[in-house]
Amino acid sequence: MSTTRNPGLEDTTGTRAVPRRSVGQTLLASGTVLALFVLIIFFFAMRPDVFLSFNNVRNILYQVAILAIIAGAQTIVMVVGDFDLSVAATSALAGAVAASMMLNGVPVAAAILAALVVGVLIGLINGALVAYLNLSAFVATLATLTSVTGLAFLVTDGTTLFNLPPEFNFLGQGRFLEIPMPVFIAIAISVILWFVLRFTTLGRKWYAIGGNAEVSRLSGVNVRSARLLAFTVAGLVSAIGGIVLAARLGSASAVQGEDNLLFSVAAVFLGMTIVRSGAANIVGTMVGVAIIGVMSNGLNILGVNAYVQQVVTGLIIIAAVTLSSFKNRER
Amino acid sequence: MRTKLKALAAVAAAATLVLAGCSSGGSGGGTGGDAGAGGGDDAFKVIAFTSGNQTPIGAWWVKAVQEQADELGWDLTMIQGDFDFQKMNPAVESAIGQGADAIFDGYTDVASIGSIVTAAKDAGIPMFAMDSATEANDAFAINITTDQQGIVDQTVGAIDESLGGLDGKTVMVIGHDPHPGIRMRAGLAEEAFTEAGAEIAGGEIQKVTSPATGRTEALALVADYLTANPDGLDAVWVGWDDAALGAAQAITEAGASAKVTGVDATSEAIAGIQSEGAFLATIEQPWPSILDSVMEHIIAFQEDGTLPDSNYEAVDTTLVTIDNAADITPSDQLG
Repeated sequence: MSTTRNPGLEDTTGTRAVPRRSVGQTLLASGTVLALFVLIIFFFAMRPDVFLSFNNVRNILYQVAILAIIAGAQTIVMVVGDFDLSVAATSALAGAVAASMMLNGVPVAAAILAALVVGVLIGLINGALVAYLNLSAFVATLATLTSVTGLAFLVTDGTTLFNLPPEFNFLGQGRFLEIPMPVFIAIAISVILWFVLRFTTLGRKWYAIGGNAEVSRLSGVNVRSARLLAFTVAGLVSAIGGIVLAARLGSASAVQGEDNLLFSVAAVFLGMTIVRSGAANIVGTMVGVAIIGVMSNGLNILGVNAYVQQVVTGLIIIAAVTLSSFKNRER
Repeated sequence: MRTKLKALAAVAAAATLVLAGCSSGGSGGGTGGDAGAGGGDDAFKVIAFTSGNQTPIGAWWVKAVQEQADELGWDLTMIQGDFDFQKMNPAVESAIGQGADAIFDGYTDVASIGSIVTAAKDAGIPMFAMDSATEANDAFAINITTDQQGIVDQTVGAIDESLGGLDGKTVMVIGHDPHPGIRMRAGLAEEAFTEAGAEIAGGEIQKVTSPATGRTEALALVADYLTANPDGLDAVWVGWDDAALGAAQAITEAGASAKVTGVDATSEAIAGIQSEGAFLATIEQPWPSILDSVMEHIIAFQEDGTLPDSNYEAVDTTLVTIDNAADITPSDQLG
């Protein structure tokens, strides 16, 4: 894989030669990061004895690790200007396949491999539908979401599969240096995706397609294969998220982690506001994931009602989309 | 143009004939509400429906009702709603429109089937139900469910005994409002703990927003609470097992000593109880015997039109602890 640098696309430092920003534009651009700091300061002020303690920071990281993985998958697809409604369903099916196989005596490594293959296949199907059959990503992934959820019910027989091997559960419940394993896995995947998006030709192609697919095609980019690959990578990463989720809970069910769809989209939208291009990017997505995690944890610690938390989450998404639209107008 | 018109007329004529044929066939099968005694040569026609067929208990119910209907020679129409009332309700109403002798509602809350209730009443067809409301309701000839107060007495009692009294203890109550049974028992549990002198963690019932993510939501709720209040929790009362398993996992991971109770007696919950960790107890609800009771009422109606004296019955449940866990059939293995 050749590597290159994608200035401006994954660049939060503003290396592109663009006009100097006004104070308002700067605030707009840094609004999401600012919001994260404001949230952290607010919750720290409310519970200074708890919020930034090692235990709680670890707790937050543990709670958002799987969302970070799924949001990484969503980011790749949104970089090429598409959308994947099936990421959470794919993750649930992958976890269910791995669990089912392990309970039937298949070795852990082989079961994980099979689950990853399932993720890749779903990604390939999504990619083929969108890139080669020209279906809208929304419709195609909505259809696969439905079918994949049905498959997950078939694999689990509608039940929750449990009694998974301890060496598998270690992936989700084990700790290294007192930090839960899902945190390391999420960081590793995020770094890999960040590297691919920022420093490789493939990343440059994905951003180019997301900017203007037709211009990319006329410039010699094989748009179809690049989009196919984006969906395939998203399927693979979603499957990793599902495997880690099954290991985290020590069980697998057909609808496990379905809220990761909404939150992954929210995280990517939040992240799109932190770069000048307004494009999806991994660093921004992780900021979005952090906002969601900090908000949920902080509101829980303050004892805020779950329904109010949902309202606040929705408002944050609206704010993020609004910021994104301002940025697009700015462009 | 003329050819097209001819073709159109031919298609319309064919469609009319087909629809007329379907219509006459359909009307022949219905007997309406006055055929309760099931006399005559026609098979006793029953419409059964459930929205919860994707849950293990719902799937068991579908299978069990179909098997019993086959044995009894019923003409059964089974409608499975997948929690989609927009799809299920019209399908049931359409079946009612084609005529039936009885309707059997499995695990579908009366609040979600208002249009079905109206259609059934208009057609004069009695509706029998299991676990479809938490109190008496005129919608049903009978609804048999489990005793919510009994469930609360048993689970709160188990926590009381485990903690050596509830006075001054801190207990988190986790519920889920859209499920009427869980909503009712969570409210009753909150009352029971408060009356016994316990403090409710967070000052109110903690709500899980989606049953699909109940385990992770409960895990986060308890983990966050224990982070903010280390050793500040003596017990967690949860309205259903899946979320209770998340609460138990959070307690185990935090190294806390709090105890958890659930409801449902799933195999995973029973295994948790047998491991003698944080999971203290759950509740077995006797669905097979409840199904038998409802079936007896339907058969009585089929034989001579007899309807139950009461339209609501709440049956006792069994507390599952380490002492009897090995003897319990898990609710997800009924089928």
